[in-house]
Amino acid sequence: MMSADVSDRAVTAAASHEHESPFAGPDEAFEAAKQGMWIFLVTEVLMFGGLFVAYGIFRGLHADMFQEAHRYLAVSLGGTNTVVLILSSLTMALGVGATQRGQRDRALLFFGLTLLLASCFLLVKYFEYSHKFHEGLLPGGYFRNEHLKHPKAPLFFSLYFVMTGLHLVHVLVGMGLIAWLLKRTVARQFGPHYYTPVELVGFYWHFVDMVWIYLFPLLYLVG
Amino acid sequence: MDTKETEPAARHHHILPTFTTVLVGLSLLVLTGVTILLGGVELGRLNFAVAVLIASVKALLVALFFMNLLYDRRENSVIFGASFLFLAIFFVLTATDLFFRGDVAVKGPISAPVPAGGKRVAKPWLATEALVGRGRELFSQQCVTCHGPEGKGNGPAAASLTPRPRDFTATVGWKNGRKPSQILKTLNEGIPGSAMAAYTTLPPDDRWALAHFVVSLGPAAEKDSPEDLLKVGVDVAKGEAVIREAPSIPIELAMRRLTRPELKARTKARTPSPTQTPEGARVYQARCERCHGPEGEGAIVGALGGVPRMLLRTGPLSISKAIENESAFSEVVVRGLTGELMPGAADLSERELRGLYRHVQELSGRP
Repeated sequence: MMSADVSDRAVTAAASHEHESPFAGPDEAFEAAKQGMWIFLVTEVLMFGGLFVAYGIFRGLHADMFQEAHRYLAVSLGGTNTVVLILSSLTMALGVGATQRGQRDRALLFFGLTLLLASCFLLVKYFEYSHKFHEGLLPGGYFRNEHLKHPKAPLFFSLYFVMTGLHLVHVLVGMGLIAWLLKRTVARQFGPHYYTPVELVGFYWHFVDMVWIYLFPLLYLVG
Repeated sequence: MDTKETEPAARHHHILPTFTTVLVGLSLLVLTGVTILLGGVELGRLNFAVAVLIASVKALLVALFFMNLLYDRRENSVIFGASFLFLAIFFVLTATDLFFRGDVAVKGPISAPVPAGGKRVAKPWLATEALVGRGRELFSQQCVTCHGPEGKGNGPAAASLTPRPRDFTATVGWKNGRKPSQILKTLNEGIPGSAMAAYTTLPPDDRWALAHFVVSLGPAAEKDSPEDLLKVGVDVAKGEAVIREAPSIPIELAMRRLTRPELKARTKARTPSPTQTPEGARVYQARCERCHGPEGEGAIVGALGGVPRMLLRTGPLSISKAIENESAFSEVVVRGLTGELMPGAADLSERELRGLYRHVQELSGRP
């Protein structure tokens, strides 16, 4: 009897050992995951950073061209999208807060709103891009516009499309992640005791917002 | 990793109050409005700085509050902040290279316009004892090889040059004339088609010193008139000289010259020891290799006294027409190429010339 009990425990211990987390506790696991996210965001900063450096260099070399070409971007649309993204960042932050406080319905509402705002961003971007395509304001060798005569102007649109395009890819990935959060929230998998993915997707979304915060004035406003 | 209701994880984490969250969101919207409004105001260069500043404030708000960095562990701020630091390094190094590279290639002289350790001479176009003395010193370093110690045009290298170096004691035959300003012109520009190079790598005062010394070698010369001086950039009325800077070639051209396709390396083994090499290889090694490269493949040579920016490339010998027949080859070797970098070697014996011809033919892969 006694020996059976001992061997039973030994089996349980062995089984649980296989699933044992390398972290001392959930707190440490959360902190580690978060730090991993920060390190990932560092690589993101450097990826976008390369483009921003290219922007800075070409702006320095062709300041007059940037002045001229940036007037062909619609400040109203870019501004709308800035407001949309900031609002979506706000709803994301509210959604994360609601999850942390265990307010599941509020969290669902805010994640849904975030997704809705992201779709608005896509819609506006669609109109913007199709307008640029129509006008022949295209990157590099595809440039066909006849009003913008500066010989270096195609360069501006190369930068515009690559920078906003890479950002757009991030928006799409972010939307996928938020949809995933929604699904798991519906399944009641998050709460005050476990919300690591919620917080980290939040980081990602705020980072996407942060990139746009720089893109908007640099491309649309000061050219 | 699903729900673990039992663990009290959330306790230690900072949860941003809803009020703060909304406040931060509103500030971001207000700042966006400010940027758009300021974008319409013409502030000149300030526009850019203001836009970046406002964007950075917004980004900071997002990071500190929405991304909780303010309440996070300090090391996460260090990690994230480091990415911006490295981005700044990336930008600054690229920009300083790119935006100031042009100065070196197109505008600025490599040599200092002031003689090493000396002060600028007040009016270097007027001969003084000190200037002539300085000229003598420079002459013995820069000119004697061709022009000879007395300036008679009979230096050790003179025999191999066509046209012959100028005899400074003669009064006739001067291409640009022998007033100091005219000699300065020669020093500034060189004499195209001859071995006389431009000496713009010397500071202007040193060039004047040389000009005065060269005049002093021959019989008294005419003085410079103000018009003469004006031609070399000296305005007597103002008492100022325009510093003539060294001519330089655009960086693109230099790069093109340096990247001309290399000839494929020869596979044939070369005779190793100089004591055992036949005549031709010995002469080649001693006289030709420095410019033409060990395999006759052509090499980059400092054209004018090794000034880094005056690098030229000699062509591969295998494409040279001169090695198609021996007499043409000997003529080029003995007389050199007028106006090119190729000096003549009039001191070679017939035997050496013949050996050299064979050796070069072998290098170029001809029978």
